Amino acid sequence: MSEEINEKAREGTLVLGLGNVLMGDDGFGPTVVALLASQYELPEGVSALDAGTPGFDLSPHVAGLAALIIVDTVKLDAPPGTLRLYRLPEIVAHVPVVRASPHEPALQEALLALQFAGQAPAEVLLVGAVPETIDVGPGLSAPLGAAVPHAIREVLLELERLGHPASKRSAPLPANLWWETRVT
Amino acid sequence: MSPRITVDPITRIEGHLRIDVEVNGGAVQDSWSSGQMFRGIEIILKGRDPRDAWLFTQRICGVCTTVHAIASVRAVENALNLEIPINAQYIRNLILCAHALHDHIVHFYQLSALDWVDVVSALKGDPASTAALAESLSPWPGNSRKQFEAVKEKLAGFVQAGQLGIFTNGYWGHPAMKLPPDVNLLAVSHYLQALDAQRKANQVVAILGGKTPNIQNLAVGGVANAINLNNESALNMNKLFMVKDLLDEVAAFVQQVYLIDVCAVGALYADWLKYGAGVTNYLAVPDLPLDTKGTRFDLPGGTIFNKDLAAAKPITSFQDPYFRDNVTECIAHSWYDGDWDKHPYEETTEPKYTDFNPAGKYSWVKSPRFQGKPMQVGPLAQVFVGFATGHEPTKRWTTHALQTAGAVAKAQLSPAVLHGTLGRHLGRAVRAAVISELALQQWQRLAENIGKGDVAIFNPPTFPKGEIQGFGFHEAPRGTLSHWVIIDNGKIKNYQAVVPSTWNAGPRDEKGQKGPYEASLLGNPIADPAKPLEVLRTIHSFDPCLACAIHTLDVEGTELSKVNVFNTCSV
Repeated sequence: MSEEINEKAREGTLVLGLGNVLMGDDGFGPTVVALLASQYELPEGVSALDAGTPGFDLSPHVAGLAALIIVDTVKLDAPPGTLRLYRLPEIVAHVPVVRASPHEPALQEALLALQFAGQAPAEVLLVGAVPETIDVGPGLSAPLGAAVPHAIREVLLELERLGHPASKRSAPLPANLWWETRVT
Repeated sequence: MSPRITVDPITRIEGHLRIDVEVNGGAVQDSWSSGQMFRGIEIILKGRDPRDAWLFTQRICGVCTTVHAIASVRAVENALNLEIPINAQYIRNLILCAHALHDHIVHFYQLSALDWVDVVSALKGDPASTAALAESLSPWPGNSRKQFEAVKEKLAGFVQAGQLGIFTNGYWGHPAMKLPPDVNLLAVSHYLQALDAQRKANQVVAILGGKTPNIQNLAVGGVANAINLNNESALNMNKLFMVKDLLDEVAAFVQQVYLIDVCAVGALYADWLKYGAGVTNYLAVPDLPLDTKGTRFDLPGGTIFNKDLAAAKPITSFQDPYFRDNVTECIAHSWYDGDWDKHPYEETTEPKYTDFNPAGKYSWVKSPRFQGKPMQVGPLAQVFVGFATGHEPTKRWTTHALQTAGAVAKAQLSPAVLHGTLGRHLGRAVRAAVISELALQQWQRLAENIGKGDVAIFNPPTFPKGEIQGFGFHEAPRGTLSHWVIIDNGKIKNYQAVVPSTWNAGPRDEKGQKGPYEASLLGNPIADPAKPLEVLRTIHSFDPCLACAIHTLDVEGTELSKVNVFNTCSV
């Protein structure tokens, strides 16, 4: 059983959208992932996942990856729509404080646990957007909507840097943004 | 005045659970549980197509995704009086089992074991005696001396490098930490193995659900998994056997590692058996339906009042009026307009936030009641109901667990010791063992039914003119979940979700009756008010889930670079 505690070969690249599509700007990550998948063909070994708000349950999706690109909202004193980029050391720099509920947003916890287990991704980039409103109801605010193409560009640049460039589809597929369907 | 401790990490992220306790003489005298975020799914669903409701409800919470999807389709099917093909029941059941196994394993090892396990002390553990102890308790092959040596070395490396990482802010060296170093080493080693076990359970959900998190294969009327044993893209023989192999591996971990660890840790904290009982009314609903209508089940449901197992009353079908007619929610102490106590079909959702007022309104969570009484829900409730109603696997695994714990504690333990904080952990492990067994039986039933040539998966729903209403329930990892829907001319008119953490985390009701979290904290010892580890132990034992509805990362200004997206609109 010793394999569990040994370093494993890392493989695969995941573009991960985090956030709740029912909570306004918190749906930024899933929106970026849905539009990326509709506009670009991802090369073999690269996948895109709208993971919602999985807390610690993120870990099975991230364990053993070669590279992880996360798109999420970030809490920051900057105008809504501002994009910032972070690498693994910055993401885990603020170690978790005592938790009342074990299901609080836990990207940091998941990455730290995987570091201890020797299964954390070798390369991590977080593309973070500052939200305007996080409130009940689907749909992005104007500044966040405007930031979507910029976030997609950051993801594409990172894929290129990793040696897995994505190619633009000649005709985009319909984007799976089911949560934006209007009530009739 | 007694000192008050507020456990409120709200400075880190928006919205979740806040616990306030008043401490006097080293013990909790009074307590308040407050949900700090408004959940407005009911508002979002109004006017939508009931066939789409499950897609939305499974986004209420990022951890409990599957469970809100299943409760939603069951509610709409109940309103339509629609039966679903038996294959669809089995496939749903397998997903629910795998989801529950994943959830219970993660809860113990990754989310709550560190309330009891001192990671730093594990460095003093002796791999040889740890292996001897582990082998005396379990046949698990991952308990070798070599294994423990490797874990200890790894941990030492982390500590030497000053990188405790995930373990940095634990309460190491806290006076309430009492496990011997060998048991701490054992637990840290299994913490790592649990990461693999939970991944395997999650793979089952992914294979059958099409995607995880947020499964894609559900439909009002059944499932969308085409069954064709010879087709690559359908549910075929290959996929079925992948599911079975994964379930076998997860079952071995649950039965030989998780359950044993909870027994051992619990036995070594036997002084904690007297804390945390709180509300001893229990509610569980039946689950894992065995027929198309939902009248026979693999897991029993029912109610127990005041610990009286002999008077347990069963809930027997998806249509049972005993459940349907006895649930209400009260908002006397919740931030909504009014102070009513209403049946879910009659409820409205009109948020009205005031301030945190312990004598008045202090939570976004409502107070669900059954026949006007607060109920504890969760795995322990289901284990008690199963035990009381003679459910064979529940009785067998409970007895096994109490014997294992009793051997370590050198005491004779009866089910009555389970009312409390440790009992909730043991109840969860027993439930996981029961489900690990039932999952394989569900698999067998599915394989045999497909073998007979039945590949039906879906009965199409048709919506009548006029108004109909329905309820759907599911015994989720955190306990009884119910969705209540009113449909008018094929559109949702009203929707309410009464969720497990609401049953447990709700505030006082209009009669002043405390909810289960609040009641369970009374009398808990507090060794160090600056580090209220004991409060966390009791609250974590419920597996609270209130905080996962949004995900904004707090990274506090350590940017690598900045991208200005305002260049086109800056004039």
